[in-house]
Amino acid sequence: MDFVILSLVMLAIGIYGLLTNRQLLKVFISVELIATAATLNFVMLAASQGFGQAFLILAFSTDTAVSGVILALLVIVSKKYGTSDIGKIIQMLQDKGESEDEVQ
Amino acid sequence: MIFEILAVGLIISAILALFLDEVVYSVAALAGTFFFVAFIYVLNGALYAAIFQFAVGVGTLSILFLSGEMLGDKPVRKTSPKRTGVLVGIGMVLSLPAIFLSVSGSTTTTSDISIADALWNVRGLDVILQAIVILTVALGIGIVLYEKRKGGQ
Repeated sequence: MDFVILSLVMLAIGIYGLLTNRQLLKVFISVELIATAATLNFVMLAASQGFGQAFLILAFSTDTAVSGVILALLVIVSKKYGTSDIGKIIQMLQDKGESEDEVQ
Repeated sequence: MIFEILAVGLIISAILALFLDEVVYSVAALAGTFFFVAFIYVLNGALYAAIFQFAVGVGTLSILFLSGEMLGDKPVRKTSPKRTGVLVGIGMVLSLPAIFLSVSGSTTTTSDISIADALWNVRGLDVILQAIVILTVALGIGIVLYEKRKGGQ
């Protein structure tokens, strides 16, 4: 049983989800999985000492702050465009850009 | 044996969290992921880490449930049991390397330092600076959302 490989697999799953999912909430879940994989590595390499757990607390605090920023941006984008699908948002932005070019 | 079961459960719940179509089920699977990680911490003697994982996990998940209900687009199709089974199978296959392979080697740890010492004596400045950063971020988010609401009205 190797926790380094376990966290590596989790990291790979998170990165794959980050690259392939088009829904903003799923992207956020991918970021959470990547952060969990990193903290799993920290703790398991120094589980018996205080250092591993101290680093987990520091890393999780940062992760929570990042989550707050991401969720705030997600709420703003979803309210503005009426959807949380990245593909639809990009399409709307492209349509908006083309219509502005035609006006000019 | 219990670590292997936890590893399989961890990978399966991570895959389900990402690839189920319904957001609410995805968040439930993410809760499973946090639970398995916290259980692994407990079994390895990292009790503080497990408690922190639970606390942060509960907060994150409750916000995600609310956001998922507020913002989640209704899925065009529901996840079929067959697709769920395929995802579980992929998760079991992906957890095999973690069970049978090893890259760690022998790790010798010499320092025996408590978590309180590590936090306050060794990384004390980090903790204070991080608290300032988090307070600034929280304030910034509040201002952005307030300005957005004000602009909307």
